[in-house]
Amino acid sequence: MNAKRLARRIGLYAGLTIAALTFIYPFLWMASSTFKPPIEVGSLALIPHAPTLDNYRTMWARAPFGRALVNSVFVATTITLSVLVFGSMTAYAMARLNFRGRPVLNAAVIAVLMVPGQLTLIPLYTLIVQLGWIDTYAALIIPYLFNATAILMLRQFFLQIPQSLIDSARMDGMSEPRILFTIFWPLSKPVLSIVAIFTFMGAWNEVLWPLLVVREQNLMTLPQLLTVFALGGGAGTVGVSLASAMVLVVPVIAAYAFLQRSFIESMAGSGIKG
Amino acid sequence: MPSVNFEHVTKRFGDATVIEDFDLEVADGELLVLVGGSGSGKSTILRMLAGLETVTSGKILIDGRDVTDLPPRDRDVAMVFQDYGLYPHMTVRENLSLGLRLRKIPREEIDRRVAWAGAILGLEPLLDRKPKALSGGQRQRVAMGRAMVREPKVFLFDEPLSNLDAALRAQMRIEIGGLQRRLKTTTVYVTHDQVEAMTLGDRIVVLADGRIQQIGRPIDLYQNPVNRFVAGFIGTPAMNFLQGTLASEGGRLYFSSEGARLKLRGGTASVTSSEPVTLGVRPEDLRVHTIDLPTTGVLDHSPIPGASDGDTLTGRVLLVERLGGTSHVHFQVGPHRLLASVTSDSPPELGTNITARVPAARVHLFGGDGRVIGQSSSLRS
Repeated sequence: MNAKRLARRIGLYAGLTIAALTFIYPFLWMASSTFKPPIEVGSLALIPHAPTLDNYRTMWARAPFGRALVNSVFVATTITLSVLVFGSMTAYAMARLNFRGRPVLNAAVIAVLMVPGQLTLIPLYTLIVQLGWIDTYAALIIPYLFNATAILMLRQFFLQIPQSLIDSARMDGMSEPRILFTIFWPLSKPVLSIVAIFTFMGAWNEVLWPLLVVREQNLMTLPQLLTVFALGGGAGTVGVSLASAMVLVVPVIAAYAFLQRSFIESMAGSGIKG
Repeated sequence: MPSVNFEHVTKRFGDATVIEDFDLEVADGELLVLVGGSGSGKSTILRMLAGLETVTSGKILIDGRDVTDLPPRDRDVAMVFQDYGLYPHMTVRENLSLGLRLRKIPREEIDRRVAWAGAILGLEPLLDRKPKALSGGQRQRVAMGRAMVREPKVFLFDEPLSNLDAALRAQMRIEIGGLQRRLKTTTVYVTHDQVEAMTLGDRIVVLADGRIQQIGRPIDLYQNPVNRFVAGFIGTPAMNFLQGTLASEGGRLYFSSEGARLKLRGGTASVTSSEPVTLGVRPEDLRVHTIDLPTTGVLDHSPIPGASDGDTLTGRVLLVERLGGTSHVHFQVGPHRLLASVTSDSPPELGTNITARVPAARVHLFGGDGRVIGQSSSLRS
């Protein structure tokens, strides 16, 4: 009995280990390869024989990756904050306020969700051209300030918060924005984190849109510059390409690690306690 | 000057009229209880007074000031909610003081009031805890404390005890009553529990379908209900009702129904004999006597001996619920099922035949429209 259980345990862990390695190996290989000299990049080993920072030096020297990093952080952060602030304001109104046209607004938000992004790409581009926003931050940021998915997720969460909390807050003399930001926000950390992560990752990884509206190298975001750099043959070697990919990936991993707990919590479907 | 006035207040949600032409005065320092079943509109009335619901038409005045269109924070009222409405992410102290901080009350004054409420309610050791770490009764006290520190003109309670278990409910009921008498703050208290209403209220307003059925002191509602609804709602166990007709015989008025014939007192001139009426009598007003020994085996349906002679009902015991001090005796009279509350140590046994004396002075008569027919009130006055 005990031996059988032990054997099953071992089998289970072996399987899980193989699965984990399958997922993590390519990433670890990429990370280690950025420190390998060109001659070693072809090997599957994870420890470089002669570690070097040359790939990073070359990359940094050939294109303005520092600037692109700043651009990406600025664009993604602005979009994320805006989606959280305006999204939760919209969601609060949709979930908890009574006003004429609320059902229409709800339907409209869901309708927006059903329109594929590819469909609006060309009209949106035309609009940006006519506004004269080509090669500006506005073109990168403004189309993403609102997000229907975020609004619906926040709304769903806000619907579960007890009415008596809103009533108490109103009796205590709070305005509606104050109720949202001092009562709802602290109670909505799980859903706010997940919306923040999805929005940030989405904005961070966006390549197509920046390629369309930004040609000025100094305004390019990191993935855009990376694409231009790698596809345009600027990288020269695999090691340099991988190094630039690392620069792209590390901030997202850092953000994920930072918000991981709330991320898992919200994935597990958390409610209001206490 | 009355503390709170409702003048012709009407509330509609879409096409549904929830409250219609509601008039009410609450005296200064009074504890007024709004009681009714679910859907009676009692909570809506309270929420309109708080400013949490809009008023469709009519006016609400607090201390003579028209507050109909004022937001809750400008009305000088404080409310205790059924599920307490405590902010889960704040400590007890923060929960108590938030409303005062938002009103820009000086720090020392806030501390003084929080300490005062904490002392009265026994919350001192809990001030730095969060609501999650409190028991139901403690949360209830925090919710009351939050209302108290505001020192409002009017306290509003919306079913504050519904989430507590029976023992704690009884205890908190006493505490709320004591607190209100001590602070002498005008209070409007909503409940569906008529025991709470009876024990707490200076006056009670009984509501059904958004309309006032009766307003009065608890004992008045108990003794002189103006209609069948109030009669059935106030008092536990609920009043017995028998459908029947009135008949005049030899100058005396009788109530008759299948299996029951009762002599009535006083003049009920306004009733024509054929009109259907309802007779009501409270379980505690019935005097029960056993008239035979328990039969063995199953209930038989042999005729019940001893016909009604004008002040008694004769029936067979269907069920006896012993509560300790009292027993509830359910018995069948003709097609009617009645309940008598018996304080004797040896209540009638299951299956025995009993007579229940119905004191004519304790009988309530209701007409076809449910309103009381002069009988019992004229007798009492």
